[in-house]
Amino acid sequence: MKMKFRIISSIAIAAVTTLMFGSCASDPDSSGLEYMPDMYRSPAIEPYVDYGEVKGRENTELKLKQSAMTPPSGTIPYYGTDSATVALMMPYARKAHTSMKTTHGMYGADLTEVNEYDLAASDKNPLALDSENSKEIFATGKKLFSANCAHCHGAKGDGNGPMVLSGAYAGVPDYANLTNLGDGQLFYSIYYGKGMMGAHNPILDKKEIWTLVHYIRKFQDADYGTFSAAENVEVVEAH
Amino acid sequence: MNSHISTKFAFVEKCFFDVGLTVFYMKISSSQMFRDLSKWCFGALTLLLLTGAFNAQAQGDALFKAKCATCHQIFKDGTGPKLFEARQKWSDGGAAEGSIFQWVNNWSNAAAADPYAQSVSTWSETAMTAFPDLSKEQITSIFDWVDSQEEVTAAVGSLGGAGGASVEQESGLGWVWIVLAIVFVVVILAVGGVRRQLKSASAEMEGEAFDDEMTYTDELKQWAWSNRKFVALGIVAVVLGLLVTLFLSLYSIGLVENYQPSQPIAFPHSVHAGTNGIDCKYCHNSVTKSKTAGLPTVNVCMNCHKQVSGTTPEQQEQIQKIYDAAGYDPSGAGKYTGETKEIVWNKVHVLPDHVYFNHSQHVEVGGVDCKQCHGDMASMTETAKVQTVEELNKVEGNIQLTKTTLTMGWCIECHKEKEISNGVLDTKKDGYYDEIHKRLMDGDKELYGKYLEDGKVTVMELGGWECAKCHY
Repeated sequence: MKMKFRIISSIAIAAVTTLMFGSCASDPDSSGLEYMPDMYRSPAIEPYVDYGEVKGRENTELKLKQSAMTPPSGTIPYYGTDSATVALMMPYARKAHTSMKTTHGMYGADLTEVNEYDLAASDKNPLALDSENSKEIFATGKKLFSANCAHCHGAKGDGNGPMVLSGAYAGVPDYANLTNLGDGQLFYSIYYGKGMMGAHNPILDKKEIWTLVHYIRKFQDADYGTFSAAENVEVVEAH
Repeated sequence: MNSHISTKFAFVEKCFFDVGLTVFYMKISSSQMFRDLSKWCFGALTLLLLTGAFNAQAQGDALFKAKCATCHQIFKDGTGPKLFEARQKWSDGGAAEGSIFQWVNNWSNAAAADPYAQSVSTWSETAMTAFPDLSKEQITSIFDWVDSQEEVTAAVGSLGGAGGASVEQESGLGWVWIVLAIVFVVVILAVGGVRRQLKSASAEMEGEAFDDEMTYTDELKQWAWSNRKFVALGIVAVVLGLLVTLFLSLYSIGLVENYQPSQPIAFPHSVHAGTNGIDCKYCHNSVTKSKTAGLPTVNVCMNCHKQVSGTTPEQQEQIQKIYDAAGYDPSGAGKYTGETKEIVWNKVHVLPDHVYFNHSQHVEVGGVDCKQCHGDMASMTETAKVQTVEELNKVEGNIQLTKTTLTMGWCIECHKEKEISNGVLDTKKDGYYDEIHKRLMDGDKELYGKYLEDGKVTVMELGGWECAKCHY
């Protein structure tokens, strides 16, 4: 009898304790009870996890440091062994102007006194358009543009993106007014930023930016990059 | 304006009347005619002046938008300083006459000639573009238009208002329960005490010796023994109930639905992805390239927040944290100082180590929309959380699932339902499924036919249920 009572009461106590543990989940900062906490908070490096404390060991140097960091300057991701792609992806030769240190941050970037923006006017787009790839390049460009540019520059490139229309942002130029800029200058501006616009090289690689340059040219000239069906000759030359 | 015109007309009328009276005694009709003519002339002149002013206004507006707006705002410093009453500022600052026009045409000439212009040139590191083709009239029309604008201070609802209220309500409810519990305990104790006293009094009256040694426990035991059938039944019911809740709560271990960790910055997705229409992939830009969707580095925040500093004190307080992290001083022209800090976001969707999940595989190859797993973030006013499966099912276009979010059941349920890409073996996606398609067509037509029985090829049928796809 006594034994039975003990069993019953211990089960009851266990039930109450579990209920109390279960109620922890209602605290938004707790993810609730985990079967294997060391599987969620393990020594294996995962992004956006604080490694200041792993398995009870503290590492003050790592504490609260591993969150959303920019890659070191000059490093490029691995793009395979295709020589054309690798050549395109090599670090950008043109440097940012020293004044951009205060206007655009440029932490860790190499700076120069020379006005490389003006020099970039003569740079050619290394992604040459031909009748085979143009369709694909414009399709990729459209995808990239709608994800990275359209919220300010507008889906039509007229500077009336949803951010401008909502009144949150002002001063976005219409691409139609920028026909005087060279391809290389467009690239330089996207890469390092210009005026209010920040540098986009941390989020777009060089191939993507050159693709975007093609796509922006298409806003300024509807015939840009169209080829006559008979010959594989570009009808309209780049500006 | 109106009264001004009428007094002028009265004056003109009076003159004519005087002239008519004293000299020729002019006929009323001709004087009337002349007066009408003058009225016409005056009207035409006003119209001309007005349209002239309007044209200048329209010209200023157009010119400002085409030439200046990229760098200058009217009421706020940006890449260039604000332009509202800039002429006033220059003349107050002691600039030479006409120096401001020279500045617009080519700032370096003005800076060489005028000490005030020289001081202005140090405002920012960014040099102003030269506009040699703008005439003095055009520049004046721009400044006229800018000065005629009125600042609108939009009343934007405070950020955390609603959230704060709901929290208060909840904690208020908690207090009610605690107070009620205390009141009940006091009542029970009081009744018990009264009962005991009554009992002892009645025992005394009847001349019996009241057993004062009998404690509450003894009384309870006595009572339980006399009603043992009901007590046993009650105990069984309570234990069964507790066991059921025990197992139910055991089931909840490892479930993270509604997990909403606090974040260093109160980031409203509704403003960014909703009102301002920013694509998810702009900030979470590694989603198409890597395993993780990625949290934006602070330079991505700064791409917009260099200009957007917030309209309410709540917003400004939050955005200041971005400036602190980026090492940016927003005063004046704005300046990067280089003193950066970390923003430590708290990870919301955490998968255990034994599961491999890759974002780019799902978003790029599978063509899955973010909202399938993360819900409608464009209307999420609070910080991000793990959405419940009920909330996910409400989102338009989502595959309807039944298992709890972020559990394995949830994953494989979707793998069973989800068609690969759009339609039957869509080969649009860089030919990713071409190889498997070829193998099926060449080798195993029967299996292929079986796959197509329900009219679609699902992720499961191409191996999406194989253990090693996610566990290795």
